[in-house]
This record gives sequence, structure tokens and C-alpha cells, in this order.
Amino acid sequence: MAYQTFNRKTFDTFSQPMFFGENVNVSRYDTQKYKIFEQLIEKQLSFFWRPEEVDLSTDRKDFANLPEHEKHIFLSNLKYQTLLDSIQGRSPNVALLPIVSLPELETWIETWSFSETIHSRSYTHIIRNVISDPAAVFDDIVSNEYITKRAESVTKYYDDLIEGVTYYQNLGEGTHIINGKTIEISLRDLKRKLYLTMASVNVLEAIRFYVSFACSFAFAERAKMEGNAKIIKLIARDEALHLTGTQHMLQIWAMGKDDPEMGEITKECREDVIGIFREAAEQEKEWAEYLFKDGSMIGLNKDILCQYVEYICNQRLTAIGLETIFPTKQNPLPWINAWLVSDNVQVAPQEAEISSYLVGAIDSELSLEDFSDIEL
Amino acid sequence: MLAMRQKKDDIDSGFHLEDDAHSHKDFQLESPVVPSSSEPDIAQPELYLPLDNPEAPQEEQQLEIQGLEKPQYPVLVEGIEQPLQFHFASNLLESLEAQGVQLPYQCREGYCGGCRTDLIEGEVAYLQEPMAWINEGEILPCCCVPKTPITLKLKG
Repeated sequence: MAYQTFNRKTFDTFSQPMFFGENVNVSRYDTQKYKIFEQLIEKQLSFFWRPEEVDLSTDRKDFANLPEHEKHIFLSNLKYQTLLDSIQGRSPNVALLPIVSLPELETWIETWSFSETIHSRSYTHIIRNVISDPAAVFDDIVSNEYITKRAESVTKYYDDLIEGVTYYQNLGEGTHIINGKTIEISLRDLKRKLYLTMASVNVLEAIRFYVSFACSFAFAERAKMEGNAKIIKLIARDEALHLTGTQHMLQIWAMGKDDPEMGEITKECREDVIGIFREAAEQEKEWAEYLFKDGSMIGLNKDILCQYVEYICNQRLTAIGLETIFPTKQNPLPWINAWLVSDNVQVAPQEAEISSYLVGAIDSELSLEDFSDIEL
Repeated sequence: MLAMRQKKDDIDSGFHLEDDAHSHKDFQLESPVVPSSSEPDIAQPELYLPLDNPEAPQEEQQLEIQGLEKPQYPVLVEGIEQPLQFHFASNLLESLEAQGVQLPYQCREGYCGGCRTDLIEGEVAYLQEPMAWINEGEILPCCCVPKTPITLKLKG
């Protein structure tokens, strides 16, 4: 019952479900129940990048010249991204590692979470480069009501699962009285919590992140804050992979072969999952309202971003086999695809003009005047 | 190989027997001439890599097998009248884009699932194992090529 860091039992890994089976003992990858997780790990490792590789010297100038309402859009968006990656950098580890039962999946969760910590570090890199007082930005993340409101709905499923699993591992199934409160713990209920957590993570990575990407790329479409966009492009590449990971987990459960109970729960929770998508879409629309409260920017306004929320929501629903819930069918931001495409990210530096080649660059612009005082 | 050639000649002569064959719409699908110098209509060439039209015949073809022509398949997309084909492009996504069909995409190498499309009829072959989840009846055009004439239905 209690978590064991190295399970002494002898058991067949192949007979274990993804979660709530035996605790993992040997981290071995020679035999795998689901080879997709090994493939995801390899892909994620091949994507490795460091934020410091991207030169942000022109972004500092760009930012200083942005009108006030655009500064608000840029910083608010960055704050939201920081919040999301702060959550994703730790929560999969804390919530999922104690209950995972397959070594390849355990390592995928760790790899996934680790790459989110790189994203968090890159936001600090951006903020440090762009403004002189980073603390003001970071402090606002916990006090800004528009951000905290959404943090609540992103984290509640995680927290619920973590609390339940803690009781389960300490006390086991049954009715317990803890600090005067009666608590029912059943494995079935925990599996339900796990399912809803994964659905909410799917929404976080599939919808919430993409809405924020749209804002970052809207600046770069106008040749502003391009260093930032390059970092976001690398982040988007990672997120696409994480999204594939959660979609696989959800669909493996849906098939019911991994754990028949999870198959039943998938059917039971159908409406709840649609509800999670709907709630997220509503919140993202409210956020769009907040972003553009002082004015819109060229190429992006509240209405277009709201349409994009609906479009991406529909797309992600069909990806996990659910019906669409919004009428929007066309992508209102077709140019975003070109920014999301990852086949020209981090190829050999000499083949594509990418900023990662400019390690430690200080001034990336040179004009004729710079040579004016040179005499021959 | 010789047998296939023979078979193909039979089909060709079969078409010649019918007088109206040349004006038939389906027949045009099989032999459109794509000018090799034509440039694709790309809004952002600095972001999107292929500079040449992927559906244009390549001058130096790799792996040319003597006597065996590169297969060419008609592609039907529901809701699009224009006759489409798959011939020279390296994957279905590139081919569709070159012919003006817009699909959502992201990674273009099979791990994001952004280009998921319903395959109504026909068969495709994957050039690499796709990592993204694919539901029953769906394909990822970014990493597959048709094996037969195909009919697609775009998402959304």
C-alpha cells in the first residue's frame, strides 16, 4: 500500500496497468508494454535546448518601443505562460510518479516534467532580458486575480488526486476519520480523479498553451519580439510532444485493455471531460478580454483570439474522439501554422537562420554608419 | 517488371479506344502537366521550407527504376471540386498544399497529430512510424503516401 521506492516483489511488468498497479522497481526498458513512451522520451531528448542559446538583445529594444497596451499584452501573456509551466514542471512528478506502474511511462513522466522546467527557465531568461525589474512580473503572477482564477481550475484536479493518493497510500481503501473529517477512499474513485486530471492536463497543453502561443507569434508576425517567438517556437515543439503523450494515455484507457475499470471511467466521465474543455474555453475567452482591455494589436484582437479558442478546442476534442462543441470550423489565425512548424527549428545552424547559432551575441545589427569613423 | 509494363500499355491503349476519353475529367487526373519552373504560392517563404513545388517533376530523380514509372494516384477531397493527384511530392501533406488545399499542421513529422485527416477510401503507406495517436479511419498526411487512389475528408 505505502509507496516503495524499490518494490521487492517479483511480478510481470507486462501484466501491470499504466497506473495503480505495482510500484516500479527496476528501471528497465528492454521489455516494454507501450513502446510509444520510449519513443516520446527519445524524441524529447533529441529536442534538448537551452534558453540562453537564443539571443534577445533586439527584443529589449523592441519591448521599450511597444505602446503601453501592447506591453500589457506581452507581459500578461508571459505571466500566464510562466504560471502554466510552473505547474507542469512539478505536478506530473508529484501526482503521477507515486502511482505509475510501468518503467517506460515513469521515465516519460520525468522527461516530460523536466522539459517543462526548461520552459520555466526560459521565461526568466526572457523577462530578465526584456525588463529591468523581473520581480514585479513574477510577484504579480500570484496576486493578479485574472491569473490566479485560472490557476485554480488548472490545479484543482491535480491537488484532488494528490490528496486522495496520499490517504490511499497511508491508510488504504475504506472510510477514515482524519482531523474529525470523514473521508471515503476507494480505488475506483482515485482512478476517476486520475482520469479527470489527465483530461485537464490535456486541456492545459492543448488549448491554454496554444492560446498563449498565438499572442507571442502575433508580435513576431510584425517583426517584433522575435527572439521571444523563437523561444516560444521551441516550447511549442515540446508541448506538441507532451500533448501526444497525454492523448496516448487517454486513448489507451479508452480502449479498456490496459485497465478495464479505466475504460468504464472513460465512458462515465465523457460529459465531465467536455465540461473541462468548455470551462477552459470560457476562461480563455475571459482572458482574451483582459489581454485586450486597453486596445488590440495589429493582427490580433479579442474576437479573433476567441475564435481561435473555439477552433483549437474543437480540434482537440476530435483528437480524443469527442464531438466538437463550437461552430467555428476555420482557423482564424492561419499564419500560426507557419510559426508552429518545427521542421525548421534547430537543424544544422548553417542550413537555417536560427538564433541558437548566436551564442553570447551582444549586438546583432550592423549598419554602414558603424564603420564611419574607420579611416584607411 | 516487364509484366507490369505490359499491363500498363494495355490500360493506355484501352483509353485510346474510347473517342471521348481525352475530354473525360477522370482521364485528365492521370496526366496533368505540372510546369517544373512553377513556384508554389507561399505566403511566408522564410518560415516554410520547400522552395520548389513539391508536386513538380524532379529533374534528377532518386532511385529511378528502369521501366517502372512513379505511380500517380488521383486524390479526392470531400468538398473540393478541383481534381487532385499525388505524383511527385514526398508526402501527402506537401502534395495537397502544392495543389492549394490547406490543412492544419504543426510538426510535419508525425508526432503532433495536427494534420489528422479522415481517410474515406483507399490505402496509404507510412514513410515513418507516426508517433501521434491516430483514431480508426484517420491518417497523418505529413508522413504518408497513397498506395491506391484515395478519398479524404478534412477535419473541421
